[in-house]
Amino acid sequence: MEKLRRVVQIVFLAFFLFLFLLARYPYSGTFEADLFLRFSPLIPLFHFIQDFSLSWAFWPALLILAATPLLGRFFCGWICPLGTTIDAASKVVKSPSNRIYAQWEKLRYLKFAILLGCVILALFSVHVWGYLDPLSIFNRALTVVVYPLGTIAVEQTLLSVTKVHFLETPAFFVYDLFKSSVMPEMQSHPQQLFWIALFFGGILGAEKLSRRFWCRNICPAGAWLGFLAQFRLFERIVGEACPVCNKCQTECKMNAIPSGDVKHTSKVECIDCFNCGAVCPPKVNAITYRWRWKPYHTPVDFNRRQLMRTTAGSAVALGLLSIGLTNRDTRDRRIRPPGALPEDQFTDKCIRCMECARICKSNGGCLQPDQIQSSILDLWLPVAVMREGYCEYNCNLCSQVCPTGAIVPLALDQKQHTPIGLAHFDRNHCIPYAQNSDCIVCEEHCPTPDKAIKFEVKEVIARDGSRKMVKYPFVIRELCIGCGICETKCPLPGQAGVFVTTENQRRAGEPAPAIAAPEASPYG
Amino acid sequence: MRRRDFLLSTGAGIVGGAWLSGTLQQAFAAPAAPHVVWVENGEPADLLGAALKEMGGIGSYIARGDVVVVKPNIGWDRAPQFAATTNPDLVAAVVRQCLNAGAKTVKVFDRTCNNPLRCYANSQIEDRAKEAGAEVTQIRENRFVTKNINGEVVKEWQIYRDVLEADKVINLPIAKHHSLSRVTLGMKNMMGVLGGNRGDIHNNFAQKIVDINRAIPPTLTIIDAYRILTANGPVGGNLAHVKQTRTLVMSPCVVSADYLALDLFGLKIDDVGVLGEALKRGLNKYDLKSLNVKRVRLG
Repeated sequence: MEKLRRVVQIVFLAFFLFLFLLARYPYSGTFEADLFLRFSPLIPLFHFIQDFSLSWAFWPALLILAATPLLGRFFCGWICPLGTTIDAASKVVKSPSNRIYAQWEKLRYLKFAILLGCVILALFSVHVWGYLDPLSIFNRALTVVVYPLGTIAVEQTLLSVTKVHFLETPAFFVYDLFKSSVMPEMQSHPQQLFWIALFFGGILGAEKLSRRFWCRNICPAGAWLGFLAQFRLFERIVGEACPVCNKCQTECKMNAIPSGDVKHTSKVECIDCFNCGAVCPPKVNAITYRWRWKPYHTPVDFNRRQLMRTTAGSAVALGLLSIGLTNRDTRDRRIRPPGALPEDQFTDKCIRCMECARICKSNGGCLQPDQIQSSILDLWLPVAVMREGYCEYNCNLCSQVCPTGAIVPLALDQKQHTPIGLAHFDRNHCIPYAQNSDCIVCEEHCPTPDKAIKFEVKEVIARDGSRKMVKYPFVIRELCIGCGICETKCPLPGQAGVFVTTENQRRAGEPAPAIAAPEASPYG
Repeated sequence: MRRRDFLLSTGAGIVGGAWLSGTLQQAFAAPAAPHVVWVENGEPADLLGAALKEMGGIGSYIARGDVVVVKPNIGWDRAPQFAATTNPDLVAAVVRQCLNAGAKTVKVFDRTCNNPLRCYANSQIEDRAKEAGAEVTQIRENRFVTKNINGEVVKEWQIYRDVLEADKVINLPIAKHHSLSRVTLGMKNMMGVLGGNRGDIHNNFAQKIVDINRAIPPTLTIIDAYRILTANGPVGGNLAHVKQTRTLVMSPCVVSADYLALDLFGLKIDDVGVLGEALKRGLNKYDLKSLNVKRVRLG
């Protein structure tokens, strides 16, 4: 069983990576790239708290939730790609055994406190659990940290190899092969890389303290599954032959076997890894696993005092979060993907998995994990940074891969008529205004069938006294969809002469303005 | 004979011989090909065939074993009917002609404005050119090399290595409206092989474009005017602005080709700053006043 478990872990990790690589242009949707994110057992729980809905879109998670009371936390041990990565990390950092770990054991309650805190905040419509969702963490780290840094490493290595004379041709061959299959055609440079790397690195690095430190003590998904697994029917049975060598106890990934009582297992903690059976000496072979219809119960490690403290702590957090740290200056820079729900609902539904930013990187490349701009909960929401990239006119892929419906899928034609913002000219920077000299790169790139950036030609007097005609750009509010290609392509070196704000943006479900929409899309 | 005299007379002999052979060649060659060919009323491949026939066949430009770069406009994520990118059938026809003339490889690429994968796919140029046997590749940033241009404004710029290394470059623009330069034709199309921040070109546009065309003159310019974009250029996006003109203009001189293509838009040379600048700087191979134009109308 333990060998099978390893194989299954690797298969699921590979499946996750396959879906991750799939989330790029061209995207057919035959395989839904966000499928694995919908495995997250937290999503149905918090969506239910949010609006009492249980959507079939989350069928993988619902299946897992249905099986957990029978099988226990098999998701953690067999499926979770973060768990698999953590297992790999523990081999690298050489985690200590459970004997040394004993002092940390009381930390277990923390994950229940975190889950309960998330639930309490969610009841008051503050959703922070997405930051801690294991699948979201993994996808976010892949998108923002692993993939960009990995491609830089591979790309630069291959490019430096090409400088060696006789290796030039083979190195370029490999380079082109990588470029057209695994690596992105444009290198992405996400902001927040450091913090997300620290977060992910911290989770892996905690393996130095114990095996599966994150899963034992912090993961709210683990807590939720553990809570459901209290009475699980599939049990570990220790036979009479057991000489109490304590090997299973010290080798247990989750420290689920009490040190004084190896015949029992904490059903809340056990993740079905079957290591105990594998380490039981072959001559003894006392450990078997079987179904029992009258299961014993292991309680959740969470006492009343901890419950009170958590509740009080959550109330304080709720207060702090709702007082907020709102800064009106930066509010207009919160440009969300086209099809995003209204900001409050969007913040609630988004789990910060960065799948939209991932697929955006192979298109216009505007989406980035947000920083704390005008509220703490802005952190790691997708935000369009138009100076880095723009919203590709013929692309609606970010809305196709949102696992939670924080971005509502838009047909291409709908997306092309949904403004996500409005361009503004900064006349102090814009070359024609600041220097009386032609440019209008912005107008040239403007993609709407009737250009939203137009220009007027005015006569000015040049330095030598001669008269010349200069083109001065301006924006037509009714035509601009805020795609931001003007800001991306502005040839100024730093701050652009034109920038996009959330003004005029239309969120999903909001009515179209009364003004006539631009001509119907001509794209076939 | 003193050595000095010997050297002098040998030098003179070589120069004289070269001059004589040139004159003789001119005198005895077939009737001179026209400077510019204008073909109208046909499908892209037929237009191309007719134009090449007038020009003395593709063999007068492409030699056996040549590495040829065909540089269409793939700049935008638009389907062909929007006339924002070069006609894919024409690109395929040019590729076939080059291969028939014995070209070793034909490379097709463009540094796009929108996402490159999308542009290559949606313009249908990638598929059609590959079918025809071309090597269609994405622009790789590492293949730009800094070239000394020594122009009036542009001193050096990054240019795509494949263009510099090619034996022949066929410039294959589409005739379009362009807000800054009024129209975009052959000279502007050569911007597609430049690296760096191309937005910078838009300032002192005419001078810079001429500088660059001086540095990398194409062997042959074929202007696709099967469909032309008359407004909202260079991106377009509205079929109402697309005019089906079923025309093709071809010339070994990019300035002459651009000059003749102005007829499509009813423009004069003074309307287009780049052309004026090109003439001023003598970029034209032929005198535009005595241009030998051959006009063909297919039946």
